[in-house]
Amino acid sequence: MSGKQHRILIANRGEIAVRIIRACRALDLDFVCVYTVEDAESGHAHAAAEAGPEKRLYRVSSYHDANELLAVADAAGATAVHPGYGFFAEDYRFARRVRQRGRSLDFIGPSWEVIRALGDKINTKRLARSLGVPTVPGSDKPIYDEMEAEKFARTIYEFQLQQGIERPVILVKASAGGGGMGIEEVHDIDLFRSVFRRIRNYASRQFKDEGVLIEQRIRDFNHLEVQILAERGAGRIVHFGTRNCSIQSTGLQKRLEVAPGFDPSAVRYRFDAAALLAKVTEHSLAMAREVRYDNIGTWEWIVSRDGAPFLMEVNTRIQVENGVSAAVSRIRGKDGTDLIAEQIRTALGEELGYDQDDIGFEGVGIEYRIIAEDPDRNFTPWVGRIETFRPPERDWLSVYTHVPSDRPYDIPTEFDPNLALAIIRGRDLEEAEARGREFLDALVLEGTSPSGDKIRSNVAFLRSMTEHILMF
Amino acid sequence: MMFNISAMLEEIKASPYEEIAVRAPHSGFATFPDGLAPGAAVSGPAGEFREKPGTLLACIERERNPRAVTCPERGEIVAVHRELHGSFVEAGTELVRFRHFLSRGEVEARILKKALHLFLAPERARYYFIPAQDIKIKTAGPRSVSVREGDELFIMSRMKRETPLRYSGPEGILYAVYFSHAADVDARDPLIGVCPPDLVEQVEEVVVRVRTEWKEKF
Repeated sequence: MSGKQHRILIANRGEIAVRIIRACRALDLDFVCVYTVEDAESGHAHAAAEAGPEKRLYRVSSYHDANELLAVADAAGATAVHPGYGFFAEDYRFARRVRQRGRSLDFIGPSWEVIRALGDKINTKRLARSLGVPTVPGSDKPIYDEMEAEKFARTIYEFQLQQGIERPVILVKASAGGGGMGIEEVHDIDLFRSVFRRIRNYASRQFKDEGVLIEQRIRDFNHLEVQILAERGAGRIVHFGTRNCSIQSTGLQKRLEVAPGFDPSAVRYRFDAAALLAKVTEHSLAMAREVRYDNIGTWEWIVSRDGAPFLMEVNTRIQVENGVSAAVSRIRGKDGTDLIAEQIRTALGEELGYDQDDIGFEGVGIEYRIIAEDPDRNFTPWVGRIETFRPPERDWLSVYTHVPSDRPYDIPTEFDPNLALAIIRGRDLEEAEARGREFLDALVLEGTSPSGDKIRSNVAFLRSMTEHILMF
Repeated sequence: MMFNISAMLEEIKASPYEEIAVRAPHSGFATFPDGLAPGAAVSGPAGEFREKPGTLLACIERERNPRAVTCPERGEIVAVHRELHGSFVEAGTELVRFRHFLSRGEVEARILKKALHLFLAPERARYYFIPAQDIKIKTAGPRSVSVREGDELFIMSRMKRETPLRYSGPEGILYAVYFSHAADVDARDPLIGVCPPDLVEQVEEVVVRVRTEWKEKF
């Protein structure tokens, strides 16, 4: 594999595009980026423009236009497409088209058959149940009809009462949604219909699909993830451990992740945490084997207070938080772990070159998502100009950002206001937490809104949450 | 509130057109039709529902999907970037420039924008009417809706988050809508124009004056 053989079109933006560029460079692969007019000042666009005399940056009308992205791929001589996350990352039709069009390209992700089997929450639930993998009690098909939805919601409500749950809660979510979007809780069953209508209208506007899922809300849960990597052609399947993504905004969006998922050496749990981690990992691997999984993927679980795991969904793509698992993983014979580079290698047909026994885990990693938002106002996105973004430099810290450090940056309103990812490594939980606090204290983040207000960010929230890492 | 309709009309008459750049709506290979040259008259969409497209200005093809780029308004060609013929262009590249002479309706809208009470977008975002009002506006037109201070009228959608937005301003009839669901609205740009009861007479005068005094070029 060399840069002369492959040219990767990075069909994404921002922080993930920056990380993919980095992985391409590490693998000595050529790359091409796209950007929209709102992203002209983004770090990924600058990195591509400044990568050499050859043209590597193309302006497009949207990151959502498959025809346009593929036309750019042809014009730029790309041989593969990396979708990043979001946009086309879990669209099996796009993955199939990339492979099957006249000028075939490699899709950096699982095969389209695998994405179709697992990229949809409902398919995943059905498959999991068929393998005896526990899933969250709830609907296994999208519901469109209000009467049917209410009937089902009342069944779930009664089920919780029968379980002895004093205050049952129902989760109503857009079937086509993801990333915590379009989810609301129902505490009073008599108000279910109004919430259902609100989510259905939201789903229609945002996803053009009114389907709604109804589930039991597991209270006081931990959100665990299992990181899987597999070779093409039903080859080897390995895992890169677990991580804990329980610290989320009120909109159920992740803000702070920790690897490993639990740390029994530092925290006492009510259940056998080590056994539980082994169990969710084995369930995840079993499902991966069943569908002949063939690239990177994440199995997402929630764990109830008494240690019962339920599979939520599978993300058939790279994620924001893969880096924190890489930070605590060691592949024998390699300097550091870059899961995006591993993803690209396997998607291009290379063998893994190692087995599970060659992957070791050490220490604790914390990932902070630095976001311009106001935690005191329900995490409302903040929009304005970033004047200074200056993270400290430490040998235990990696920061990935598309925010330029040498000039002001206007946050585009078209996308999430994520500014950076910071990954901290420590020998143990105590050291990682101390370093996390040190990082947040030393981070310089300044900016003003169009009306002159100072920047609002989640840095203070992250600092306060650092005290509660891995505690149930 | 009084305003000088004559002065506004004179101001617009001094510069009765706007120059519009037609840009590539997306990346792809551009071609231009024969005969399109500076000075040529072009037409905009026509028909009751604007279902008949305007003059063909260029074609952009990506993934064997040709997309016709047609003139959005009537006018006169100023420049054609024929040097791009057959080449790959990026989204936003200027293809054609033309001069559009203002119609009576556009002049009327420009003057009314100064007369009506404008409710401005508080933030750059995408805006929707709440479902109940949206249906009413779609079926009976905006002027079927009257608004008053505190009415929940919009949904502001930004970064996938939706927030209800209440109208503030004088009570009146929803006279003009300045946004579409398909595009972001910048902060401080108008969302709607509301005509309070005491302005109805002046608004009607604007309509009559423009209809009698404005001569359309084509």
